[in-house]
Amino acid sequence: MADATTAGRAHAPSGPFRHFMTSATPGQLALALAITVFLALFLIIPVGTVIYVAFTEKGTGTFTLVNFVDFARTDLFIRSFWNSVYVSAMSVVLASIFALPLAYITTRFDFRGAMLIQTLGFLPLIMPPFVGAVAMLLLFGRNGTVNLLLNDWFGFRIPFMEGLNGVIFVQAVHYFPFILINLSAALRNIDRAMEEAAQNLGCSGFRLFRRIVFPLAMPGYIAGASLVFVKVFDDLATPLLLNVKDMLAPQAYLRVTSIGIADPMGYVISVVLIVMSILAMWVSARAMRGKDYATVQRGGGGLARRQMRPWESVAAYAAVFLILLLVLAPHIGLLLLSFATIWSFSPLPDGFTLAHYGRVFGESFVYVKNTLIYASLAGLIDVVLGTAIAYLVLRTKLIGRQWLDWAATAALAIPGVVLGIGYLRTFYGVQLPDGTPLATLWIVIVLALAIRRLPYALRACYAALQQISVSLEEAAENLGATKVRTVRRIVLPLMAGGILAGFVTSFATAAVELSATLMLVQSNADAPLAYGLYVFMQSAAGRGPGAALGVIAVLLVALCTFASHLIIEKSQKAKGAGH
Amino acid sequence: MPRHYAAAAALIGAALFTGVAFAQTGKVTVVTSFSKDVTDPFKQAFEKAHPGVTLDVQNRNTNAGVKYLEETKANNQVDLFWASAPDAFEVLKGKGLLEAYKPKAEGIPDKIGSYPINDPAGFYSGFAASGYGIMWNERYAKANELPEPKDWQDLAKAVYFDHVAMAAPSRSGTTHLTIETILQGEGWEKGWRTLKEVSGNFRQITERSFGVPEAVNSGQVGFGIVIDFFAFSSQASGFPVKFVYPTVTTIVPANVAVVANAPNKAGAQAFVDYLISPAGQEVLLEPSIRRLPVNPAVYDKAPADYPNPFKDPSLGARVKFDVEVSEKRSNVVDVLYDQTVTFQLDALKAATKAIHDAEAALAKKDNAEARALVSEARDLVAAMPITAEQAASPEITGAFTGGKEKGARQAELEQQWSAFAKERYAQAQAKAEEVLKRAR
Amino acid sequence: MNQPLSVSTLGAQAVDVDIRSVDLSYGTNHVLKGIDLHIRPGEFFAFLGPSGCGKTTLLRLIAGFNRADGGEVLVGGREVSHLPPWKRDVGMVFQSYALWPHMSVKRNVAFGLEERKVPRAEIERRVAAALELVGLAHLADRRPSQLSGGQQQRVAVARTIAIEPKVLLLDEPLSNLDAKMRVQVRRELRDLQQRLGLTTIFVTHDQEEANTICDRIAVMNDGAVQQVGSPMELYEKPANLFVASFLGTANIVPGRVIEEGGARLFEIDAGVRLPIPAHVTVLEGAKLVFRPQHASLGADGARDVSLPGTVLHSEFLGSTVRYGVKVGSAEVSIDVPFQSGEAIHKPGAAVEVGLSLNSAVWLAS
Repeated sequence: MADATTAGRAHAPSGPFRHFMTSATPGQLALALAITVFLALFLIIPVGTVIYVAFTEKGTGTFTLVNFVDFARTDLFIRSFWNSVYVSAMSVVLASIFALPLAYITTRFDFRGAMLIQTLGFLPLIMPPFVGAVAMLLLFGRNGTVNLLLNDWFGFRIPFMEGLNGVIFVQAVHYFPFILINLSAALRNIDRAMEEAAQNLGCSGFRLFRRIVFPLAMPGYIAGASLVFVKVFDDLATPLLLNVKDMLAPQAYLRVTSIGIADPMGYVISVVLIVMSILAMWVSARAMRGKDYATVQRGGGGLARRQMRPWESVAAYAAVFLILLLVLAPHIGLLLLSFATIWSFSPLPDGFTLAHYGRVFGESFVYVKNTLIYASLAGLIDVVLGTAIAYLVLRTKLIGRQWLDWAATAALAIPGVVLGIGYLRTFYGVQLPDGTPLATLWIVIVLALAIRRLPYALRACYAALQQISVSLEEAAENLGATKVRTVRRIVLPLMAGGILAGFVTSFATAAVELSATLMLVQSNADAPLAYGLYVFMQSAAGRGPGAALGVIAVLLVALCTFASHLIIEKSQKAKGAGH
Repeated sequence: MPRHYAAAAALIGAALFTGVAFAQTGKVTVVTSFSKDVTDPFKQAFEKAHPGVTLDVQNRNTNAGVKYLEETKANNQVDLFWASAPDAFEVLKGKGLLEAYKPKAEGIPDKIGSYPINDPAGFYSGFAASGYGIMWNERYAKANELPEPKDWQDLAKAVYFDHVAMAAPSRSGTTHLTIETILQGEGWEKGWRTLKEVSGNFRQITERSFGVPEAVNSGQVGFGIVIDFFAFSSQASGFPVKFVYPTVTTIVPANVAVVANAPNKAGAQAFVDYLISPAGQEVLLEPSIRRLPVNPAVYDKAPADYPNPFKDPSLGARVKFDVEVSEKRSNVVDVLYDQTVTFQLDALKAATKAIHDAEAALAKKDNAEARALVSEARDLVAAMPITAEQAASPEITGAFTGGKEKGARQAELEQQWSAFAKERYAQAQAKAEEVLKRAR
Repeated sequence: MNQPLSVSTLGAQAVDVDIRSVDLSYGTNHVLKGIDLHIRPGEFFAFLGPSGCGKTTLLRLIAGFNRADGGEVLVGGREVSHLPPWKRDVGMVFQSYALWPHMSVKRNVAFGLEERKVPRAEIERRVAAALELVGLAHLADRRPSQLSGGQQQRVAVARTIAIEPKVLLLDEPLSNLDAKMRVQVRRELRDLQQRLGLTTIFVTHDQEEANTICDRIAVMNDGAVQQVGSPMELYEKPANLFVASFLGTANIVPGRVIEEGGARLFEIDAGVRLPIPAHVTVLEGAKLVFRPQHASLGADGARDVSLPGTVLHSEFLGSTVRYGVKVGSAEVSIDVPFQSGEAIHKPGAAVEVGLSLNSAVWLAS
């Protein structure tokens, strides 16, 4: 409010703008407008040009809702809908089983290697397309390593990868880091005295976790769980690779990409996906309301970690090792595959070779370079937008600011292929002076990646800003800093950890994104790693080189991730020492 | 101001110059569904034969490639479309996205097997042929003690239950042709019966063509219905797989076409000519490609056991493939298969399993009444919601093309067809189980 | 109906706490050095010392949150060192209160009883009683965030005493309250402790808090107990310079012991000296310690010794005037009762400092 007066004096607005001034400065208004234009241009319009078909009548092209009635009347879609809901919910459950022990042990106890585990626990998110599922099948499929051995020794198989169960298993492994990351952040912020008070009153072990620690970490858990739910609900690649087609996202994809068929149902399903995603995010926001406990209190026991007794340590290491083994299985399989000569109907490859790396070595350089450029630019755009949106939503009273958040979050639900087609439609007509269409420039790939990964960065920035007390900003303003300078000198430095976390998530996942990229890559010279990998994975001889490229992608992203973890840890230590 | 003007002029000039320069160095842009294994040798050979020309390969699956050309036609940047499935070319042709071109090559016959090599209207040209067949993993077959199949009908046997895979015809142009070949070779009703009996043994119906050889190579599935070169290139890579052409098969060409309004039309035509020239045809013999050349002379340079459709009459010559019939009902066949098989696979498999079990029981203790019941069950499984005539009728085909005329909506038909199949599979299963119960 | 926790039974059960040569190090940091303490049954006992002296560490050790490297802790004669916190039956009130924000007041208080699998009806009764005891029965259904600081503190106490612990540990329970609340709450705590007769250990860095409510105090510094005694003993007879200066204001004057004509004298500066009473032993390097009110200014006559000094400054405190006076090279504070109409010495004025020797002590550091 105070700044409004100062700004008002300087710029003396008049006319229709005056009533805005009670709520925002011209700068904030301009920022909101800029973001709105960006989202409109690169998200709403492209997607709109594709999905409006869902609302048109066959033949006449007039507005109708009959397609949605068809959706509700078709058994396949209803079955797909409930399958998607079931798979998403069960994936959240399984992902929680993976994430809870890892998060709890590494944040609440003095545990050697906690940072390494946090980094390794992030890896599954970087599962390159195709190769991840291939590796999982080789390990856990009906004739994968585990089942071949089980069958030899005990004469039975476990259907890990069959039907919906397979999708749940792979999705939980793939997306559990979302819960791990958010839950860990929430757990780190719980005052140790909260646990000690319960211990003092006779509570221990799992009851302590269930009654005290977990409820306190609930906001972080809900944030992660809702992200997992939405991602699984909207993911089409994993079910399709496991040949599960009766889920919503695969149905949308199959219909949108069927040649020669002009069927609105694919777009109808896309609309349903978008609505469901926004609904899920809204429900989680409602559930979190009033639960955001500021649990680190004045004069508390602080954040010191508990010591484990020897047998507890052993149990904890065993649990952590087992979970990591399971969630890193795709990467282990990928590594084996990249060194394998032939791996067919056998527990392990027939032999090992370095030839695959030799084959991709020369070619991969351009892919690596492109991936680094695209993913880091996309990550950069995401954190800038994410910070700006978080700031507008949390710190201003602009009317409709919440819509920026919803719109950006909706990107989560938009199938990559829909976005890709939308970009082609919207930007192919736009020509550069030399006649090349705008859509052929690689920057369009970056924009598509940025839009696809914006929700991740946004959530991280949002959480970071939420944890900063407004009084810190007020203090700066009180000492004469303008809004802009306050943001630059106080808010941004304090948000740095969260912003970096957002960048890492966006960067890492953008680096292995394929669905939107596939539509937009215009030449091999502009292609990122995921595309190169896709090209390799289309032939029998390309499986090994594809896996090698996948390993390179994972290593690359993992190194960047580990470096950022180091930076985050360091900055937190610096902050800790300061107080 | 003048300075700004000069700078702008220079910029535009530079842009124009680079445009011209591109034409001179001759970048030929090709959208293809072929893997690197196929495109890389051609790229190298073509660039060597035409110094200064670069072949820019954009790899997209067939569906995405068609979609891409469609979406970017306003400002097309692609010179060539290069893929297997003739139906994709038909779609592009129908939308006016291709430009007719007659390659300068000589000695190319009109037909390979019973399929015309080139589009009669000249919009696309065949450059290599492929046949469909059955590929299997030897280790898998040995471990499960499964015999080697010889024909499509073999795959319908009970012993192969849950061991077979195929790509969805709606997703794979090549599989679509396999289906269509069976339908034309055996007739609509008998053809669907064979298809459903085989499909009842499926373990999975993949979304990509390559998903099938991949599953067979890794041993996740034993047998796959695939296009020959997938098997050949897998063998060349060292996978323990075998392949056989069944008696009812057709050899169809893989094609290349010049895209309408190609930025580098001359370069595009040069590539088409190169593909069909003897030098280009020889590249097809490379182990990682292993496709059948359309130039009969080139087979002289092939290894001894290389299949030669021009000499071996069993390869595809038995079926008269009618392209027109195929074209008319292509969407309907795909959707029929998806709605009655792909999306009802669990129900179909349950019915098939029950029938297999019932027949096994009958083999031990025969009973005419029970045999009639099983036969009824088989008829129920084989039943189709529409006839061949209906499938080609404009009332039904119109529902899938988003035509301007008002009519049945695709979703309505789909729901009818899937409900039809689901109901009959359940009935068939009930009848077969009834037989089983009586046999005990 | 709302029968309060039975005061007599609890009192009868009061136990002692015995801490025997407890040692604790964090790496090279020796936090507790051979602590020996005996806390009597029903006693209100304080650990008093500056921050970092080890008092909270010692308290947490009794509760089981720290493990000693050596020594033992006995509660009611039972060795508890090997027990985890949840089996010790020592209730602790945390400095931050550690009220769980996701539970109502009632649920917070019921927590420990639920963990002990107390029957539901019994839980109801005891929660009501505990809340009644701290006067918050009417706020039972609120969330902790809806309570004031003082109320939160009382909930924390209620939550702890509801389990009827053998010993009550209070970790700086007043530090998060404002000055006025502090006085009120500390009286309530004392009152409650008296009624329950519960052995209570209270950690504080505030000597006034410790003095006003505790029976006995252990003054701690640098990981060691400096002195144990009642507030008055500590004040009157500090065992060392640290205790003297930590409890109340003390003048600490360096000097050296000289002999002159068979008599021992304490020389503050050349020519400024005073006699040492015969029964007093003065160790090497010891300093003269006396309280401001035990000295006087001017010709009061009632003092044993008189030293020359110069007034540096004066502070008017109401009932007294505190002078800063330079005696030799040392600066001392002297409190003089204020009588209406009396003039105040101006800075620079030469004065006579009178000192009664039996209230002065010589302490080594």
